[in-house]
Amino acid sequence: MTQENRSGRPQGRPPEGDSRLTRTEVQLRGPFLLFFISSVIWLLAASVLGVIAALQQGSLAGGPFRDCEILTYGHVAAAQHNLFVYGWGFNAFFALNLWLLSQLGRFELRNGWLATLGGAVWNLALTYGVVQIFAGNQTGFGLLEFPREVGPVLAVAFLLAGFWPIVAFARRPTGHSFASQWFVVAASFAFPLTYLLAQLLILWQPASGVVQTIAHSWFVSNLLLLWFGASALAAVYYFLPKVLGRTISGYYLAPVAFWSFVLFAGWTGPAALIGAPVPLWLQSVGVVAAAMLIIPVIITAINFHGMLSTEGGWSRAWNDTTLRFVSFGAVAFTLFGALNAVFAFRGYNAVVRFTSFAAGQEQLLTYAFATMVLFGAAYYVLPRLTGSRWPSAKLVHVHFWATALGVVASIVALLVGGWQEGKQLAVASIKLADVVRAGSSWNYVLSVSAVLLLIGHVAFALNAFGMILKSSAPASAGRHD
Amino acid sequence: MKNLNSLLAGIFLAVAFPFGVLVISSQVQLGSLGPAPAEEGGPLFPSREPGLAIQGRAVYVSLGCVSCHTQQVRPAGQGSDIARGYGVRASVARDYVQQKPVLLGERRIGPDLANYGARAKDLNAVHAAIRHDGQFAFLYAGAKQEAATERAIALAAYLQSLRQDYSSPEAKLKQ
Repeated sequence: MTQENRSGRPQGRPPEGDSRLTRTEVQLRGPFLLFFISSVIWLLAASVLGVIAALQQGSLAGGPFRDCEILTYGHVAAAQHNLFVYGWGFNAFFALNLWLLSQLGRFELRNGWLATLGGAVWNLALTYGVVQIFAGNQTGFGLLEFPREVGPVLAVAFLLAGFWPIVAFARRPTGHSFASQWFVVAASFAFPLTYLLAQLLILWQPASGVVQTIAHSWFVSNLLLLWFGASALAAVYYFLPKVLGRTISGYYLAPVAFWSFVLFAGWTGPAALIGAPVPLWLQSVGVVAAAMLIIPVIITAINFHGMLSTEGGWSRAWNDTTLRFVSFGAVAFTLFGALNAVFAFRGYNAVVRFTSFAAGQEQLLTYAFATMVLFGAAYYVLPRLTGSRWPSAKLVHVHFWATALGVVASIVALLVGGWQEGKQLAVASIKLADVVRAGSSWNYVLSVSAVLLLIGHVAFALNAFGMILKSSAPASAGRHD
Repeated sequence: MKNLNSLLAGIFLAVAFPFGVLVISSQVQLGSLGPAPAEEGGPLFPSREPGLAIQGRAVYVSLGCVSCHTQQVRPAGQGSDIARGYGVRASVARDYVQQKPVLLGERRIGPDLANYGARAKDLNAVHAAIRHDGQFAFLYAGAKQEAATERAIALAAYLQSLRQDYSSPEAKLKQ
């Protein structure tokens, strides 16, 4: 690590002696806040839609929104998924990846207006796409639901908004590099490539027949692993040693983790197509890749949990807001990797196929891992950039407990509920309607957890926006209170 | 790793190589599939879709039906799809060559529809299913919402066109 280490700080306080921004941070403050504020707004929108979708799923007749065309489940679920991924996940990682690589590379963002422009275009295209979904204009491919004209716009906006980390890496003053940098460079480079190829073969020049589905599975695995996974891993590699103030255990293994992760992630897509009318060799490649992905998962577990397990690391992590979220995420990633490897195998996969299980795995990766890490990072970065404190320690607690309980409950409901559903579906004599009825108690859990997540996000948004408003008050009045 | 170019080259290969092998070579393997007779001189399957069914697929896509319905029957031994009556044989790649877009689906909140046209009793049953106990009543007009709108008619035609009950070279039905 080239960075000076810093010991854990009390909750909700800005770092002492850091109230003045570095030149690096002055330059990126504008784009960072744009990305961050829009990401939180999208997160709130997605969680409101999440509550609606959970209520609808709980009853076949559409719950309180029956016979309402705009709010039919097929619209709400697609809009929620896209807002969470492209609205929250991308904006938030635009902000964090930019900050992280600027810090690590001592990079001064001189053309910040380009990033701001990219962020504005990204959010406008996203808004248009979501409106189109509600208007009934969607494509039928998960996470590519936006009408196809949105794709090129999002790709250009990504290049403007999300490519700066690579520039920061290229311009870093020393030849030295750190694990976080590799992962962010991978995420920033792999996504636009994947997105453009997928757009081309699925929406603009559709491949024939099920090749569309194959391309789609490749796209989704790259999006989830190489954008969410790699970006969040970069953040954990940075914040754990930084805030704990120690070196990463087994850091010499990190290059192996990086390359094995990047190399196997791209092959895991067809593991989601087991039993589908696609060539068998393809399904087998997916299963093997998903099993091999356990290698980087084990190494990151050694790196992260090794560091947390020595000298009371866990209790220090628990008592620091940033670390509490980040280590929650680190544990979730290990669980995700284990489940991903085990449930790629045909026997288990045949049971949980077409149930809520896959949604549980995705929730484990994109929420319990990536989103919790993003929250932790926000608690670290925002006080530095705004120069003020988090207005309310209570809201921080509400945020942590609501999101932690909400996400654990939803994952348990999706995974266990999915497993039970699959076990019953495997018996042909049990009617589908009876299976659905038997799983309805899990739907209550899902609805409650969706409400919990919404509460947590509102608490986070109030706290964060309060802090940003305070800091933008005249003469930075908030800095000295 | 210290060199940006070699890092980017490695990442590029990690994206491009799986794309080439998984996607491009499946296109090579499956791209030339077309309707074919199960035996020489037999009828070609899958048959061309009626125009109304193509309109119906647009309605299916627009309402997001794919969030809850799959259109794929797994082979016997993987799940109970055939025993459950979703199909008479496993789906094969050739079944989908006419479909744009292909809507295999990932989640079964409702039943699989790959072979729905073969098992639906009559048009009334199809419309009853589309209504979903009133959730999709907006597709019907009239005082008691008994008259199907154009969209409902197209959707019903599409659902009735979904059949995988023919023999094809890769999946012959047992006589």
